[in-house]
Amino acid sequence: MDVVDGWLQTIRVEGELDAYTAPQFMEAVTQTLDEGFSWLVVDLRQVEFIDSVGLGILIGGSKRAGEKNGDMAVACDRPNVRRVFEVSGTAELLNVVDELAHAVEILATERAARIGGQVCKPGGEAQ
Amino acid sequence: MNTVPQDVVELRLPPDAKYIAVVRLMVAGVASRVGIDVDEVDDMKVAISEAFTNTIDHAYQGRDPGLVTVRMIPSDAALRIEVIDEGLGFDPGSRDFTQLGALTGEGGLGLYLVHQYMDEVKIESAPGSGTRVIMTKRLSR
Repeated sequence: MDVVDGWLQTIRVEGELDAYTAPQFMEAVTQTLDEGFSWLVVDLRQVEFIDSVGLGILIGGSKRAGEKNGDMAVACDRPNVRRVFEVSGTAELLNVVDELAHAVEILATERAARIGGQVCKPGGEAQ
Repeated sequence: MNTVPQDVVELRLPPDAKYIAVVRLMVAGVASRVGIDVDEVDDMKVAISEAFTNTIDHAYQGRDPGLVTVRMIPSDAALRIEVIDEGLGFDPGSRDFTQLGALTGEGGLGLYLVHQYMDEVKIESAPGSGTRVIMTKRLSR
Protein backbone atom coordinates (compact mmCIF):
# COMPACT_ATOMS: atom_id res chain seq x y z
CA MET A 1 0.00 0.00 0.00
CA ASP A 2 1.23 3.49 -0.82
CA VAL A 3 0.27 6.78 0.72
CA VAL A 4 0.06 9.74 -1.64
CA ASP A 5 0.37 13.21 -0.10
CA GLY A 6 -0.83 11.94 3.25
CA TRP A 7 -4.53 11.92 2.41
CA LEU A 8 -4.83 9.14 -0.16
CA GLN A 9 -4.07 5.47 0.14
CA THR A 10 -3.44 3.21 -2.85
CA ILE A 11 -4.08 -0.51 -2.56
CA ARG A 12 -2.44 -2.61 -5.28
CA VAL A 13 -3.87 -6.01 -6.09
CA GLU A 14 -2.38 -8.69 -8.34
CA GLY A 15 -3.59 -12.00 -9.70
CA GLU A 16 -7.13 -13.34 -9.38
CA LEU A 17 -9.76 -11.89 -7.07
CA ASP A 18 -12.28 -14.57 -6.09
CA ALA A 19 -13.69 -16.08 -2.90
CA TYR A 20 -10.36 -17.79 -2.16
CA THR A 21 -8.15 -14.72 -2.47
CA ALA A 22 -10.68 -12.07 -1.41
CA PRO A 23 -10.07 -12.27 2.36
CA GLN A 24 -6.61 -10.73 1.96
CA PHE A 25 -8.04 -7.91 -0.13
CA MET A 26 -10.88 -7.42 2.35
CA GLU A 27 -8.33 -7.13 5.15
CA ALA A 28 -6.33 -4.50 3.24
CA VAL A 29 -9.42 -2.38 2.55
CA THR A 30 -10.69 -2.71 6.12
CA GLN A 31 -7.28 -1.91 7.59
CA THR A 32 -6.91 1.17 5.41
CA LEU A 33 -10.30 2.52 6.44
CA ASP A 34 -9.69 1.65 10.10
CA GLU A 35 -6.42 3.59 9.99
CA GLY A 36 -8.44 6.69 9.20
CA PHE A 37 -8.08 6.94 5.44
CA SER A 38 -11.27 7.80 3.63
CA TRP A 39 -9.83 8.38 0.12
CA LEU A 40 -8.80 5.11 -1.52
CA VAL A 41 -7.50 4.21 -4.95
CA VAL A 42 -7.60 0.50 -5.70
CA ASP A 43 -5.12 -0.43 -8.41
CA LEU A 44 -6.44 -3.49 -10.25
CA ARG A 45 -4.26 -3.13 -13.34
CA GLN A 46 -2.46 -6.38 -12.52
CA VAL A 47 -5.66 -8.27 -11.70
CA GLU A 48 -6.53 -10.89 -14.31
CA PHE A 49 -9.88 -11.97 -12.93
CA ILE A 50 -12.61 -10.59 -10.67
CA ASP A 51 -16.06 -11.86 -9.74
CA SER A 52 -18.88 -10.66 -7.49
CA VAL A 53 -16.92 -11.44 -4.33
CA GLY A 54 -14.29 -8.86 -5.27
CA LEU A 55 -17.01 -6.47 -6.43
CA GLY A 56 -18.77 -6.83 -3.09
CA ILE A 57 -15.63 -5.80 -1.21
CA LEU A 58 -15.17 -2.78 -3.47
CA ILE A 59 -18.82 -1.75 -3.07
CA GLY A 60 -18.60 -2.14 0.71
CA GLY A 61 -15.31 -0.23 0.86
CA SER A 62 -16.70 2.57 -1.29
CA LYS A 63 -19.74 2.81 0.96
CA ARG A 64 -17.58 3.00 4.10
CA ALA A 65 -15.31 5.60 2.51
CA GLY A 66 -18.39 7.66 1.65
CA GLU A 67 -19.60 7.43 5.23
CA LYS A 68 -16.24 8.91 6.27
CA ASN A 69 -16.70 11.76 3.78
CA GLY A 70 -14.27 10.23 1.31
CA ASP A 71 -14.56 8.10 -1.80
CA MET A 72 -12.96 5.30 -3.76
CA ALA A 73 -11.67 5.11 -7.33
CA VAL A 74 -10.49 2.02 -9.22
CA ALA A 75 -7.76 1.81 -11.86
CA CYS A 76 -8.35 -1.11 -14.19
CA ASP A 77 -7.42 -1.51 -17.84
CA ARG A 78 -7.94 -5.20 -18.59
CA PRO A 79 -10.99 -5.58 -20.84
CA ASN A 80 -12.33 -8.73 -19.18
CA VAL A 81 -12.13 -7.15 -15.72
CA ARG A 82 -13.56 -3.84 -16.95
CA ARG A 83 -16.44 -5.76 -18.47
CA VAL A 84 -17.44 -7.15 -15.05
CA PHE A 85 -17.79 -3.57 -13.77
CA GLU A 86 -19.79 -2.54 -16.83
CA VAL A 87 -22.11 -5.56 -16.79
CA SER A 88 -22.74 -5.27 -13.05
CA GLY A 89 -23.49 -1.55 -13.34
CA THR A 90 -20.77 -0.66 -10.81
CA ALA A 91 -18.32 1.22 -13.07
CA GLU A 92 -19.72 4.65 -12.30
CA LEU A 93 -20.35 3.99 -8.62
CA LEU A 94 -16.75 2.85 -8.13
CA ASN A 95 -15.16 5.52 -10.39
CA VAL A 96 -13.52 2.87 -12.59
CA VAL A 97 -10.97 4.28 -15.04
CA ASP A 98 -8.03 2.89 -17.04
CA GLU A 99 -5.17 4.89 -15.58
CA LEU A 100 -3.92 5.12 -12.01
CA ALA A 101 -3.21 8.85 -12.41
CA HIS A 102 -6.79 9.41 -13.58
CA ALA A 103 -8.16 7.61 -10.52
CA VAL A 104 -6.05 9.82 -8.25
CA GLU A 105 -7.17 12.91 -10.16
CA ILE A 106 -10.85 12.02 -9.70
CA LEU A 107 -10.46 11.79 -5.95
CA ALA A 108 -8.25 14.90 -5.74
CA THR A 109 -10.87 16.91 -7.62
CA GLU A 110 -13.69 15.59 -5.45
CA ARG A 111 -11.73 16.29 -2.28
CA ALA A 112 -10.83 19.82 -3.39
CA ALA A 113 -14.49 20.52 -4.06
CA ARG A 114 -15.41 19.34 -0.58
CA ILE A 115 -12.66 21.30 1.14
CA GLY A 116 -13.92 24.35 -0.71
CA GLY A 117 -17.35 23.58 0.71
CA GLN A 118 -18.97 23.50 -2.71
CA VAL A 119 -20.04 19.97 -3.46
CA CYS A 120 -22.40 20.25 -6.37
CA LYS A 121 -25.05 17.59 -6.78
CA PRO A 122 -26.51 16.78 -10.16
CA GLY A 123 -28.76 19.66 -11.04
CA GLY A 124 -26.22 22.20 -9.83
CA GLU A 125 -27.50 22.64 -6.31
CA ALA A 126 -24.61 23.30 -3.93
CA GLN A 127 -24.67 22.12 -0.34
CA MET B 1 -25.15 -49.05 -36.00
CA ASN B 2 -22.56 -47.63 -33.65
CA THR B 3 -23.26 -44.27 -32.08
CA VAL B 4 -20.49 -42.04 -30.86
CA PRO B 5 -20.90 -41.40 -27.14
CA GLN B 6 -21.37 -37.80 -26.11
CA ASP B 7 -18.34 -36.17 -24.53
CA VAL B 8 -18.72 -35.42 -20.85
CA VAL B 9 -16.01 -33.70 -18.83
CA GLU B 10 -16.65 -33.84 -15.12
CA LEU B 11 -15.06 -32.83 -11.82
CA ARG B 12 -16.31 -33.85 -8.40
CA LEU B 13 -14.86 -31.78 -5.62
CA PRO B 14 -15.59 -30.38 -2.18
CA PRO B 15 -17.35 -27.00 -1.92
CA ASP B 16 -14.12 -25.26 -0.97
CA ALA B 17 -12.96 -21.86 -2.27
CA LYS B 18 -9.48 -23.22 -2.94
CA TYR B 19 -10.93 -25.16 -5.90
CA ILE B 20 -12.57 -22.19 -7.64
CA ALA B 21 -9.50 -21.55 -9.78
CA VAL B 22 -9.37 -25.28 -10.68
CA VAL B 23 -12.98 -25.19 -11.88
CA ARG B 24 -12.28 -22.03 -13.90
CA LEU B 25 -9.31 -23.70 -15.56
CA MET B 26 -11.38 -26.72 -16.55
CA VAL B 27 -14.15 -24.61 -18.00
CA ALA B 28 -11.71 -22.36 -19.87
CA GLY B 29 -9.86 -25.37 -21.26
CA VAL B 30 -12.93 -27.17 -22.56
CA ALA B 31 -14.50 -23.95 -23.88
CA SER B 32 -11.33 -23.16 -25.83
CA ARG B 33 -11.24 -26.69 -27.26
CA VAL B 34 -14.75 -26.36 -28.69
CA GLY B 35 -13.87 -23.07 -30.37
CA ILE B 36 -15.39 -20.46 -28.10
CA ASP B 37 -13.52 -17.18 -28.53
CA VAL B 38 -11.32 -15.76 -25.82
CA ASP B 39 -13.72 -13.00 -24.72
CA GLU B 40 -16.55 -15.45 -24.24
CA VAL B 41 -14.23 -17.84 -22.41
CA ASP B 42 -13.50 -14.97 -20.00
CA ASP B 43 -17.25 -14.49 -19.53
CA MET B 44 -17.72 -18.18 -18.81
CA LYS B 45 -14.95 -18.08 -16.19
CA VAL B 46 -16.94 -15.46 -14.31
CA ALA B 47 -20.16 -17.45 -14.65
CA ILE B 48 -18.66 -20.71 -13.32
CA SER B 49 -16.94 -18.88 -10.46
CA GLU B 50 -20.25 -17.39 -9.43
CA ALA B 51 -22.12 -20.69 -9.63
CA PHE B 52 -19.46 -22.60 -7.69
CA THR B 53 -19.12 -19.83 -5.08
CA ASN B 54 -22.89 -19.88 -4.56
CA THR B 55 -22.68 -23.59 -3.83
CA ILE B 56 -19.86 -23.01 -1.32
CA ASP B 57 -21.81 -20.23 0.39
CA HIS B 58 -25.28 -21.70 0.48
CA ALA B 59 -25.57 -25.40 -0.33
CA TYR B 60 -24.35 -27.05 2.84
CA GLN B 61 -24.93 -24.49 5.57
CA GLY B 62 -25.24 -26.25 8.92
CA ARG B 63 -24.68 -29.75 7.58
CA ASP B 64 -21.75 -31.91 6.50
CA PRO B 65 -20.62 -30.79 3.06
CA GLY B 66 -21.01 -33.24 0.22
CA LEU B 67 -19.27 -33.11 -3.10
CA VAL B 68 -20.12 -30.73 -5.91
CA THR B 69 -20.20 -31.97 -9.48
CA VAL B 70 -19.16 -29.64 -12.28
CA ARG B 71 -20.07 -31.23 -15.60
CA MET B 72 -19.42 -29.96 -19.09
CA ILE B 73 -21.21 -31.39 -22.10
CA PRO B 74 -20.10 -30.03 -25.48
CA SER B 75 -22.21 -30.51 -28.58
CA ASP B 76 -22.12 -29.11 -32.11
CA ALA B 77 -24.44 -26.30 -31.12
CA ALA B 78 -23.56 -25.40 -27.57
CA LEU B 79 -21.49 -25.99 -24.47
CA ARG B 80 -23.57 -26.96 -21.47
CA ILE B 81 -22.19 -26.59 -17.94
CA GLU B 82 -23.91 -28.03 -14.89
CA VAL B 83 -23.09 -27.34 -11.25
CA ILE B 84 -24.80 -29.93 -9.08
CA ASP B 85 -24.95 -30.18 -5.30
CA GLU B 86 -26.97 -32.29 -2.89
CA GLY B 87 -27.36 -29.50 -0.37
CA LEU B 88 -30.20 -27.54 1.15
CA GLY B 89 -31.73 -26.33 -2.08
CA PHE B 90 -33.92 -23.25 -2.37
CA ASP B 91 -36.92 -21.92 -4.22
CA PRO B 92 -35.46 -20.50 -7.45
CA GLY B 93 -38.66 -18.56 -8.04
CA SER B 94 -38.21 -16.62 -4.81
CA ARG B 95 -36.19 -13.91 -6.54
CA ASP B 96 -35.63 -12.64 -10.05
CA PHE B 97 -31.93 -13.09 -10.65
CA THR B 98 -32.16 -11.66 -14.16
CA GLN B 99 -32.65 -8.18 -12.71
CA LEU B 100 -29.95 -6.15 -11.02
CA GLY B 101 -31.08 -5.33 -7.50
CA ALA B 102 -29.75 -2.73 -5.12
CA LEU B 103 -25.97 -2.78 -4.98
CA THR B 104 -25.61 -3.64 -1.33
CA GLY B 105 -22.81 -6.16 -1.77
CA GLU B 106 -24.97 -8.70 0.02
CA GLY B 107 -25.51 -11.27 -2.69
CA GLY B 108 -27.70 -11.72 -5.73
CA LEU B 109 -25.10 -10.07 -7.92
CA GLY B 110 -23.43 -13.40 -8.60
CA LEU B 111 -26.42 -15.08 -10.22
CA TYR B 112 -27.21 -11.85 -12.06
CA LEU B 113 -23.75 -12.04 -13.65
CA VAL B 114 -24.34 -15.71 -14.55
CA HIS B 115 -27.47 -14.67 -16.45
CA GLN B 116 -25.65 -11.84 -18.18
CA TYR B 117 -22.67 -13.93 -19.25
CA MET B 118 -24.39 -17.11 -20.41
CA ASP B 119 -26.92 -17.56 -23.18
CA GLU B 120 -29.29 -19.71 -21.14
CA VAL B 121 -29.49 -20.34 -17.41
CA LYS B 122 -31.80 -22.79 -15.71
CA ILE B 123 -31.90 -23.49 -11.98
CA GLU B 124 -33.47 -26.70 -10.78
CA SER B 125 -33.85 -26.70 -7.02
CA ALA B 126 -36.26 -27.08 -4.18
CA PRO B 127 -35.80 -26.80 -0.42
CA GLY B 128 -34.12 -29.99 0.79
CA SER B 129 -33.51 -31.40 -2.67
CA GLY B 130 -30.17 -29.96 -3.77
CA THR B 131 -29.55 -27.64 -6.66
CA ARG B 132 -28.60 -28.03 -10.32
CA VAL B 133 -27.53 -24.87 -12.16
CA ILE B 134 -27.50 -25.45 -15.91
CA MET B 135 -25.68 -22.85 -18.00
CA THR B 136 -25.44 -22.91 -21.76
CA LYS B 137 -23.22 -21.01 -24.15
CA ARG B 138 -24.21 -21.31 -27.78
CA LEU B 139 -21.45 -21.90 -30.29
CA SER B 140 -21.36 -19.38 -33.12
CA ARG B 141 -20.17 -21.24 -36.21
